[in-house]
Amino acid sequence: MSFNVCIDIGGTFTDCLVADEAGAVSIFKAPTTPGAFHKGFINVLHVAAKGYGLDAAAFMAAIDVIVHGSTVSTNALVERKVAKAGVIVNAGHRDVLVLREGPRKGAFQWRLDYPEPYIPRSRTCTVKGRIDARGHELEPLCEADVLAAVQHFKNEGVEAIAVGLLWSIVNPAHEIRTRELIQAVWPDIPVTLSSEINPTPREYRRIIAAAIDASISPIIKTYVRALETALAEEGFKGELLLANCVGGMMPPKEMIAKPIYSVMSGPTLAPIAALALSPEPDIIVGDMGGTTFDVSALRDHQLIVTAESMIHDDALGIPKVDVRSVGAGGGSIAWVDDGGLLHVGPRSAGARPGPACYGFGNMEATVTDANIVLGIIDPDYFLGGAIKLDRALAEQAVDAIAQRLKIGRLEAAYAIHTTSNHNMVAAIEEITIREGLNPRDSYFVCGGGATACHVAEMADILGLKRYMIPRFMAGLSAFGGLVSALRWEQNGVLYTDAKRFDFKGVNALLADLKATSAAFLADARVPAERQSFEFAFMGRYEYQSWEIEVPFEMEGDELHPDELPKLVEAFHRMHERIYSIRAESDLVEFTTWKVKAAGGYARQDHWRDFTLAPQSGPVAAKASRPLYALEAKAQEEVPIYDAAALGAGARLAGPCLVEAPTFTAVLKRGHEALVDDHGNFLVTVV
Amino acid sequence: MSDQPNAAAEPALESASDTRRVDPFLMAVLKSRFEAIVREMSLVVLKASRSAVIKNGRDFSCAILTYDCRLVSTEDALPIHVTSMDLAIRPILEFFDDIAPGDIYLNNCPYTGGTHHADMIMAMPVFVDGKPLFWAVALSHHADMGAPIPTTYLPFAKNIYEEGLHFPCVRVVERGKERSDVIRIALMKIRASKVWHGDFQAQIGACRTATQRLVELIGRYGVPTVEDFVEDWFDYGERRAIAEIRKLPAGTYRYETRHDPVPGVADAGIPVRIAVTVDPEAGRITVDITDNVDNVPGGLNTSENTASGSCRMGVLNNLDSSIPHNHGSMSRIDVVMGEGKVVGKPRYPVGTSVATTNVNDRLITAGNCAFTAMGAPHGQAEGGGHMPVGNGVISGHDPFKEGQYYISQIFIGYAGNGARHGHDGWLTFCGPANGGLISLDSIEVDESMYPIIVESREIQADTQGFGTYEGAPAVGGVFYPIDHAMTVVYASDGTSFPPAGVLGGTAAASAINRKQKSSGEIVELPAFSAEVVEAGEKLVFRACGGGGYGPPAKRDRARVAASVAKGWLSAEKAKEVYGYEA
Repeated sequence: MSFNVCIDIGGTFTDCLVADEAGAVSIFKAPTTPGAFHKGFINVLHVAAKGYGLDAAAFMAAIDVIVHGSTVSTNALVERKVAKAGVIVNAGHRDVLVLREGPRKGAFQWRLDYPEPYIPRSRTCTVKGRIDARGHELEPLCEADVLAAVQHFKNEGVEAIAVGLLWSIVNPAHEIRTRELIQAVWPDIPVTLSSEINPTPREYRRIIAAAIDASISPIIKTYVRALETALAEEGFKGELLLANCVGGMMPPKEMIAKPIYSVMSGPTLAPIAALALSPEPDIIVGDMGGTTFDVSALRDHQLIVTAESMIHDDALGIPKVDVRSVGAGGGSIAWVDDGGLLHVGPRSAGARPGPACYGFGNMEATVTDANIVLGIIDPDYFLGGAIKLDRALAEQAVDAIAQRLKIGRLEAAYAIHTTSNHNMVAAIEEITIREGLNPRDSYFVCGGGATACHVAEMADILGLKRYMIPRFMAGLSAFGGLVSALRWEQNGVLYTDAKRFDFKGVNALLADLKATSAAFLADARVPAERQSFEFAFMGRYEYQSWEIEVPFEMEGDELHPDELPKLVEAFHRMHERIYSIRAESDLVEFTTWKVKAAGGYARQDHWRDFTLAPQSGPVAAKASRPLYALEAKAQEEVPIYDAAALGAGARLAGPCLVEAPTFTAVLKRGHEALVDDHGNFLVTVV
Repeated sequence: MSDQPNAAAEPALESASDTRRVDPFLMAVLKSRFEAIVREMSLVVLKASRSAVIKNGRDFSCAILTYDCRLVSTEDALPIHVTSMDLAIRPILEFFDDIAPGDIYLNNCPYTGGTHHADMIMAMPVFVDGKPLFWAVALSHHADMGAPIPTTYLPFAKNIYEEGLHFPCVRVVERGKERSDVIRIALMKIRASKVWHGDFQAQIGACRTATQRLVELIGRYGVPTVEDFVEDWFDYGERRAIAEIRKLPAGTYRYETRHDPVPGVADAGIPVRIAVTVDPEAGRITVDITDNVDNVPGGLNTSENTASGSCRMGVLNNLDSSIPHNHGSMSRIDVVMGEGKVVGKPRYPVGTSVATTNVNDRLITAGNCAFTAMGAPHGQAEGGGHMPVGNGVISGHDPFKEGQYYISQIFIGYAGNGARHGHDGWLTFCGPANGGLISLDSIEVDESMYPIIVESREIQADTQGFGTYEGAPAVGGVFYPIDHAMTVVYASDGTSFPPAGVLGGTAAASAINRKQKSSGEIVELPAFSAEVVEAGEKLVFRACGGGGYGPPAKRDRARVAASVAKGWLSAEKAKEVYGYEA
């Protein structure tokens, strides 16, 4: 036997998906072990070994590849437990991390403090020297300033240094020299250069990325080493790959070199799962967990990358796969304000104490409580009956809301359910509108344990015609890890425009980016026939300052003058798609060039080989229960189907419920499901 | 026309209705649908516009109003743009009796309800089955309107004849077809008109998007339900505002602040006075600004729109920020203003070019501060105003683009806010009219787009107002043109009368406006001016920080230590002001 494994560490559970030689996939779970995540990691492998009836050592030895989506860096950032980093910036621009681009606040919101910078003044040093927008040196680098900064950082006990100088993206000489000077006197200190970690214009975003990278560098290094050691001790001889936030995996060595790419990497595996599960061009992926709803999308069957991600009051700075979170999960708390308006979230009861029905002391109604009252969730069959929920507590909590709203219990539960749905719909629209997707023409893929309780109504609100409830919905991210490729993006800045296009410069840059990307894949032992490269540029109309990403194809190794109109046309088309505006006569400017390298590995598509047995005979309900229907403003009795009893080709028509050990799905009237060869539910709204 | 004060707000119900017209779940649902539509409008404007002032500075706002001009929803909007949006739309209904689906109207005229001539307010009626139900409104601030000098901020423009173009409710799109004749007027007269036209089209795109979404929404829920929701939504806003007002002590609270002298316009400066009367019993607040000086012969007069909006803002800044900012909540604030006063309704054709900033900033500030007369924890200290040199309008001919003309408002360095009880002032404030929503420019974006170098931009220590809570410190710096002569137009209030402290807090440091000549010599510039900076010369500026709140002696030692550690307060000042030694 041999196995491929993906391990995704969540807030409560560490999920493990394993594909065996035949491509059959199984899911295993073990509690997450905060503070020592590698323990939960090893534990869940032991659980999986048991599942296959193997002893741990034999199982470990049989694993070819382990893909891992870690939350170590995300947690460190969210909990503000990062290493002490120092930052070096230009003289005259000491406050770049304080001022940011002006932090966001509400217009009438004044009862708040201005957020502290990511790196405090005491660890911020300035150096004289300046490059201009065209790469010319206005003032030489003051080396004495650099040496003074290093001495200061030593005194402050700094553990890593970030260097962020203006226009280093056009001419990195000062940044590179700064690193040389630092390492000459302090060889062991990790140094991150802004021009290397995030080659993008907009100094704040580049420098904050460098600062974050430096501050998590020791943490990631320690974590990866601990993981490698633990795996080696267990007898693992295969390859470990780590998920990054640009939509793929990278070898541990690369992750240690660019640790910021591990931030928020887990959720980016969900759209990758969708990429494999459906050939549809435009796909929305929604993942509803206990506290948040994460939404992402595919446009033209490609991952969407954004530079707008935030952690607390700071940008992450780097472009990453666009996944947005809103505080809408099963544990989100319902409340009624002074004016009598119902709100759901963003406050959450989390995993502990959890929803009222958990019986751990929370008395406030949550979305899960409302779902019990409505008949969506069976309190005796939550996680396949592994956790018993208390219906009376759920009712009591919902009744408190009903009293405030002066309506009945069912109506109140429905108000909570639908308000939560609208919160999630708003999050979906935020991404679809921004990225030029029309939800009505898009496909929706459910992820996370709770999404299938809500997808039917969300589909109706959005006008979605088709959606998928994957068999491994509850572990969608881990599934994404199992089927993902190695992936890396290499960016370079080169300003030019359609009138004065710099073919020589662009071709040199693209060649350089491609060579670096190819080296990345070669380093990760991807053979040439499984390497692929995609090209894109960031472009804008003249005097626009926000760029959009435009993919393009190269006919040969170089761009030729007759290919320029194609690039310009591709920009116009993308601009029109995203903003409904096409300014034919306007000058198109190009700012950043990207090469995206992907490398498949041998058994990446193996899961497709395994197919479900066909449905034999008519489908039979295992039971029935009352489910609230808005149209009737009352409950109606609907059949319940056991997902495990359905074969490929089985058809179900709403209204009905489908139950599996890891999820419950609601199909509304007019929603019809077909079970595909892999056990996924393909739903059509008629 | 008379000198009689007139109430800007309609008389409202004695108390908001408790009856509900729609199901509670629909309230939450439709509220979020309207918000989503406004967010989508904003996104279209933000992403499709060209000029830095809109794209980088976010100087634009979108809103949905009922067809009878009551504000339903606005998201992430600049407060000064939307708190009196009703006044800007209502005249359209008076001027036209043939408003049709697909029409779009343009209003940037303060004498037909506009804010000031730079804010092009675009309004599209939303019809369903032949019945007009809503207005989709997109307002963008344009960097040029074709005034005699390259800016839209003209403190010396005595009357509208010295300002840029006015479109006093003009139909620019008729039944879906753009009126190229009208647009040609603007293309001819506005500088860098291609950029302007891009911004203009972004606004049209936003209006059309909203209209389409509203029609879809109404198609789904039906006209009666949506209309009922709107009334419930206004009632809800009223209830929330009343609940907030009831928490305040009854009384009349006055405040006076003073705008800097502007030579030839107001040589001694301009006092701005406000009286805020709180009636908790009735759940109402009345803001009276009748006791003010006459219109000045310059562009500093407020418009009716901005005066009324600013009075509402001063109050809203002191209420809980989670109340919905819709017609319902605003209807609990009555504004009483005179005509022909520097704050209030201007007397035609006096200049109002700077009606959203400067004196208007002082009016909002007066409202913010009037609440301090209630004592702690109410009110806030004075904050800095817009338009210091670091926030001016720059123009010139780009030597890297074959001398192509550029013009744009920059946001390199701008004002900080005053303190309030419990919090030091917000650093990236920019000015009262925006509520701290204007983004600060990226230096690399500015330097790649315009032929300039920003040599420095930093927080200046010891420039904040001191107090139990400190104002934000000032931001200052140096920038200059590369190989060409650049014009910068600015109106730097706070050079003579910097933001004051309250309840024992001290004032912030004054604004600085200087030029470093090629010889190295530094000269003072006038506080209000259009200056040409030659190649080799540099601008040296400092915006204003904010005033302090409460006596410095009561400042917590840990806060003093933190200010010192951040480098915002020198050790000497810490000792002098707070008696603090590390």
